[in-house]
Amino acid sequence: MAEHRLHRLSVLLFLLITSLAATATILLYRSGVSWESWVLVLLWAAAIAGFHAISVPTPSGKRINLAIGPSVAALVLLPDVLSVLTAFTIGLVGGWIVLRFRSKTDRDADSDYVAEAISMIVFGFVGSAALSSLSGSSMPLAWQQLIAITSGAVVWFAVRALVSAWVGTEREDLASRYLWLLALEDWTVALSIFTGGALFGMTWNEMGLWAFPVAILPYAFSHLAFVRYSSTRVTYGQMIRALAQIPEVADLAPRGHSARTADLAVAIAREIGLHPNEVTELEYAALMHDVGRITLTEPAILKAGYTDEDIARWGAQIIAEAPYLQEVSEYVRVQHSPYRRPGEAKDPDIPMTSKIIKVSSSYDQAVHELQLSPLEALERVHRGSAYDFDPEVGASLRRVLVQRGVIAA
Amino acid sequence: MSRAVAQRQHKTKIRLSVGFGALGVAILAALVLMPWQTFPDPVLWVAFAAAFVYFEWHTVEVNDRLFASPSIMVLLTAAVIFGPESAVIGTAAMAALGPLAPADIRERRWFQPIVNFGQLVASAAIASTVLAMVVGVGVPTGSSSLDAGLWRIALGSALASIAYGTANYRMVLFIVSRVYGRFEVRPWSHIAAILLPMTGMGFLGGMLGATYLIIGTAALPLIAVVFFVGYLAFESYARLREAQESTIRGFIKALEAKDLYTRGHTERVARFAEMIGKQMGYDGTQLERVRWAALIHDVGKLAVPRELIRKRARLTEEEYEVMQHHVHFVEDLLDDVDFLKPMIEIATNHHAHYDGNGYHGGGHEHGDTPSKEACILAVADTFDAITSTRSYRVALTQPYAYAELRRHAGAQFDPEVVEAFIAAMEKSGHSYGSTIELTDSEARSLAEEGLDEMRKADQVHGRDFPLAPMRRGVNDG
Repeated sequence: MAEHRLHRLSVLLFLLITSLAATATILLYRSGVSWESWVLVLLWAAAIAGFHAISVPTPSGKRINLAIGPSVAALVLLPDVLSVLTAFTIGLVGGWIVLRFRSKTDRDADSDYVAEAISMIVFGFVGSAALSSLSGSSMPLAWQQLIAITSGAVVWFAVRALVSAWVGTEREDLASRYLWLLALEDWTVALSIFTGGALFGMTWNEMGLWAFPVAILPYAFSHLAFVRYSSTRVTYGQMIRALAQIPEVADLAPRGHSARTADLAVAIAREIGLHPNEVTELEYAALMHDVGRITLTEPAILKAGYTDEDIARWGAQIIAEAPYLQEVSEYVRVQHSPYRRPGEAKDPDIPMTSKIIKVSSSYDQAVHELQLSPLEALERVHRGSAYDFDPEVGASLRRVLVQRGVIAA
Repeated sequence: MSRAVAQRQHKTKIRLSVGFGALGVAILAALVLMPWQTFPDPVLWVAFAAAFVYFEWHTVEVNDRLFASPSIMVLLTAAVIFGPESAVIGTAAMAALGPLAPADIRERRWFQPIVNFGQLVASAAIASTVLAMVVGVGVPTGSSSLDAGLWRIALGSALASIAYGTANYRMVLFIVSRVYGRFEVRPWSHIAAILLPMTGMGFLGGMLGATYLIIGTAALPLIAVVFFVGYLAFESYARLREAQESTIRGFIKALEAKDLYTRGHTERVARFAEMIGKQMGYDGTQLERVRWAALIHDVGKLAVPRELIRKRARLTEEEYEVMQHHVHFVEDLLDDVDFLKPMIEIATNHHAHYDGNGYHGGGHEHGDTPSKEACILAVADTFDAITSTRSYRVALTQPYAYAELRRHAGAQFDPEVVEAFIAAMEKSGHSYGSTIELTDSEARSLAEEGLDEMRKADQVHGRDFPLAPMRRGVNDG
């Protein structure tokens, strides 16, 4: 939808940065620096461009590229603001090209580039400004550098999160709050990239080549943990998806219902702007909302009869065995509760996630079991909005369906 | 566990803790009394001791050699910063605080902390002595580690971490062999696999210490970030792994909750399988694979109507089809989970016989020898089946189960696995099954009595091998 706008934005930014790079180069040339300094500036530019090619998984499930690492070191090691900005801008020009080769889709390349480029330039300005304003003080040089890097890093992180949230809302119908919180989730990765860059920049002059292991090893160790974390996260999701299908395999629940419900619930949650952690928990809860049905293989239970609330409770008990899933278990337990009762205000004990499950599950049931049309199914949700379905969720469901092209706007 | 064995172990434990406690105290006393070591800057010492203690108290349990020990990193950073003249006493004093974990104190465990105390103090002293020797020799007294040159710090910290790892490993071996009376020599590759990441960690620690010596206090926040972001990243990974495991346990409990006879079966089988794996010298990843295979070996039954699982009469052809269909469907589902792929193969083949007979799971033909892991699972599963009460017979005794396993070793079971299991079981001192000693003929007649029931149970599992009664009974799971 807004893809061509994003692409235009990234091209515009690329042109802007190219002209900045040209200006900075001319200015640097005019200031008459030695050829050694030129080599240094170009080396750092090459490093920044090259590191665009390395992107690493983050705990939030996204990726981050390492270009900011060498730029932190360059900030410390290059002599003045002008050479820093020259190196950054030339590096970003190269980075645009590298990203185009590296990324699977232009869309990824565009959004990565917009977020990285803007935040890196901001980092260069703030960092250099801090460095030059501290240079007269009596503080030890290393502390000056550390403070400059830290202040630049804080601004970089905030700007990057804001820009990627903004870019994300341009791209899809996601709440900016969700995207912004999602970008903030990755602070540990950002911190370890910055630490690597800072260690290199601050020790290179004294340690020489030893600065390489000092900068790379700490990052490498945490990197391995991040990679394992994100792959475990993927398999955990897969496992829950598999286990959630057991009642369906046993013909105790309609096939595909849990997967479809989870898909819809996640879309609604992102549209509303829940916290990314809550969205993940909601996904698990929605996948497993019918897991209690595996107890329906018990003849005694079948004979005694059961209600939807019973199934929800049994499901919650199964999930609660995992200490990590206490919240998920609670969402499943109250999934059928009305969001308010006659003559009362909204029930504060019913979490938004449970209301979302209730709406998505019943919409899916209406479409796939009762064979209603999407519009009729939506109408059914709206009609039940007095007590059963929270109108806020119902409205979000409508927006999601419109955005997916299921119903007309 | 027999009384005599327990008493002997208790005595050994007392002797060992006295010995190791004395060793630790002696090292510390020697360092305080000897004039060649001066205590480092107290502020720095407290900071590093706090980090060290934090890591020692919050050890993250995960089967990953890479993250064996972040505390060696802290130890060597501190040793380099303290300099050759304070490194040994400084790090030994840090190590002395390590074993005071609040959990041990709360639960009044004394053996482990005291032995750990001696072990840690000795390892730390050895490591920092190695470092101090590499860094300090030929350098005028009173100089910092840096004066010796960076390559000496690098070499020293790498050697020091190897010394630390080796010393620690030797001492653990010694303690284990004293308490449990068995001395297992691990293959060299196994030790190298642990030492290698440890050396990397130690080297990094030493170099971080060097950055402090170069750029001063501004390095401390960076060092702290390296320690804690690494720890945090690793800890959240470990927590997620745990979550994954406890989720599957939740489903298993749901399966077992309603059938009194199989309650706890999966957990026990997982424990036995892990014991066998350990006995056979498996390392972290392999052990994990066996444990997971044990955890999921019955998950397929979740999708089977319970009246079929517990049905006492013969299953009709149709019912049998339904049952197999459901079980296989769940196995297919779990096969979609990347992480579980290798475990599914093990789990589906645990009814296959060592000689290639028996029921084979997906991907295996009749006549194939099942994988070692599948053989382990088969033994663990069978042992639990014999020693627990089932709807069709009472629990039998442990010696009887051993005899059964041995009797079928070579045909149904892998002889190596059977012996490893029995050895591990004896070593653990636990006992399972009925305590009523039956004569062989009594056990046999008991088994005969339940034969009819067992036949039905076998049908449920789709096994049709014409064997002696016990063999049928013992293979249920």
